[in-house]
Amino acid sequence: MPTLLSYTLVITGAPWSSQAPQTALTFARALIDAGHRLDRLFLYGEGVHLASALSAPPSDEPHWPQEWSAFLTEHRIAGVACIASALRRGLVDEREQARYELSAHNLRAPFQIAGLGEWVDGTLTSDRVMYFHGSA
Amino acid sequence: MKQAQDIGTLHILNKAPDHPRFMTCLSSLSDQDTLVLIENAVLALSDADTALPRHTVALEADTEARGLSATVTGAQQISHAQLVELTEHHSRIISW
Amino acid sequence: MTTLIVIDQPPYGSWTGREAMDMLFSLAAFDQPAALLFIGAGVNWLRRSQNASGIGQKTVEKNLSAAPLFGVDRIYAEQAACDRFLPDAGQRVNGVELAPSVKQLLDQHDHVFFAG
Repeated sequence: MPTLLSYTLVITGAPWSSQAPQTALTFARALIDAGHRLDRLFLYGEGVHLASALSAPPSDEPHWPQEWSAFLTEHRIAGVACIASALRRGLVDEREQARYELSAHNLRAPFQIAGLGEWVDGTLTSDRVMYFHGSA
Repeated sequence: MKQAQDIGTLHILNKAPDHPRFMTCLSSLSDQDTLVLIENAVLALSDADTALPRHTVALEADTEARGLSATVTGAQQISHAQLVELTEHHSRIISW
Repeated sequence: MTTLIVIDQPPYGSWTGREAMDMLFSLAAFDQPAALLFIGAGVNWLRRSQNASGIGQKTVEKNLSAAPLFGVDRIYAEQAACDRFLPDAGQRVNGVELAPSVKQLLDQHDHVFFAG
């Protein structure tokens, strides 16, 4: 019986312009199946687009934001989008909408917006930190 | 953690062979390290110009997707579950 | 645990490097040892006399000069890439250590993060 480990996964590649969200999701499912724990998914840079509630791909195409949010919800895993990366790219929750007096909010549940401290915490507390980058 | 460092580093590479980071990765490997080719990096398996190190494995879903699985001879192909196992055994992982 | 942040993309063409710098500053803010390494075309971050006002950006030299103030331990640049892009020491900003071997530097750090 192998020692069970805890992981933080960081996605920096965006859906549709990279394979990163899909590779990370298949990996995340495999690590849960192996009995390990996923402490947190952290979205950084272009990776924050995965947390958009407004992505609407054609119905015969994969919907990575929807698949990831269903996975996070099912396993009660925290999904965090970096606040600075998210605000630049137009991803906001209700609180940031109010703060910046924006016309809408579009963060998909169960994602949250938080600072890079969440990533630093992952590097200090998870047994493994894995990065999923774009390939361009 | 329980894993010894002496089994080397796990390098996970997703860049195509003509990406600058691909060669930097290959030239940064030690003998005891393991290289995992994923996404566009699996194209190295069909690249006449790329010499891969001894401990190279490739993610099967990515080789199959690109029509490479039947022609692959240079590297063991692994599932995502086997990739998880590799991350269990390596406390040091670099994603290129 | 020491973290090495590696930037291999040139400045201004994307935000990747700036966002990697934010990670570096964040580690430093939490008192975590962190160093920065420029390789390949990324060494162009280190060129003196940049002026990005014409392209509507802030000059990255300012980000870099803040690094020591934030407690970033070391800034390294790949020797071979400097020979290629910035052969004269006078072309480079101060405080940069040349790294003859990228592999050796990676091996010295527990945790390595590539920008983008």
